[in-house]
Amino acid sequence: MTLLELALYFGLLSLVAFGGMPAVMPEMQRLVVDVKGWTSPEEFIQLFALAQAAPGPNVLIVSLIGWRVAGLAGALVALVATCGSAAVVAWWVAGLWERFKDAPWRAVMQRAIAPLVVGLILSGGYVLATPAAPDWRLWLIAAASAGAMLATRINPLWFLACGGAAGALLLP
Amino acid sequence: MPVTPPRTLVELFLGFLSIGARSFGGVLPWAHRVMVEERRWMTQADFAETIGLCQFLPGPNIGNASIVLGKRWFGLAGAIVAFLGLFALPFVWVMALGVLYHDFSSNHMLRAVVTGVGATGAGLFIGTAIKLGRALVRKPAAIALVFGCFVPVAIGRVPLIIVLPVAGAIAFFFSKRGWL
Repeated sequence: MTLLELALYFGLLSLVAFGGMPAVMPEMQRLVVDVKGWTSPEEFIQLFALAQAAPGPNVLIVSLIGWRVAGLAGALVALVATCGSAAVVAWWVAGLWERFKDAPWRAVMQRAIAPLVVGLILSGGYVLATPAAPDWRLWLIAAASAGAMLATRINPLWFLACGGAAGALLLP
Repeated sequence: MPVTPPRTLVELFLGFLSIGARSFGGVLPWAHRVMVEERRWMTQADFAETIGLCQFLPGPNIGNASIVLGKRWFGLAGAIVAFLGLFALPFVWVMALGVLYHDFSSNHMLRAVVTGVGATGAGLFIGTAIKLGRALVRKPAAIALVFGCFVPVAIGRVPLIIVLPVAGAIAFFFSKRGWL
């Protein structure tokens, strides 16, 4: 039953993830924490952190959640559902998208989606930096990381390392 | 510089395996290095166009890229092989990290470190939003849409299934009128 729920939730979530998975992080957090209670808010940000720090696509957070809920089977089901449902769309749309390269509606759609993606990714950042009550220490770390990312071209892995150190100093 | 697409499924698998294996701190730069620079499977322009398409498609961008490229070169078998190659090692590593963390997560210091990493990741999202948002600054309708999404989703915790159709319809209307 749980496996079916995992497949359904992550499969559907992926289908509305325009602009990539960051856009649906707020909704994923709402489903996993508020609706299903699969993890606590604090645990959710920690799983997100592990997926960010590990090499590989950050979508692997769904495997960590699946694993927490239903073990190895849950991890595999969550990943396959997330990537599989999107893959079906990619499979069919890729050709179509090429064919209508110069169609006016394509440009209209692209321009319509851009501000929504920005709003949703911004929401993802806010929700992840605010797992429970607003905490100035988490906001400070997040603000520093956003600033560093905009100001430099260093591999973001260094920011994650500095953020971990900042967490050790500020959070216990 | 001539480009040669992968000739066998094994070559395709190994290429994507090496992307997944090395992708510390983001997959995209490594995908570029392997496919455009090292193995010369595709041109820079082709790569940019494919990634642009995958950033538009719903779902994980780089996962979609593996499907689109695998399909282009070898059909269904290629799509599956590229996907498996990309995720095989990262899946093992993230699981190992998850299990390891689970065993030590009662340690306060470790929890603080990991939470700090999470807040940094949240900051990277905010930085990305600002980067993408710079192109929209001069368009009041676009800024209104950004905050029209942010307030209900982040503050109001309104389900996406309500926000997306409403915001999508408004955005499409704005876009049609040439306001975006």
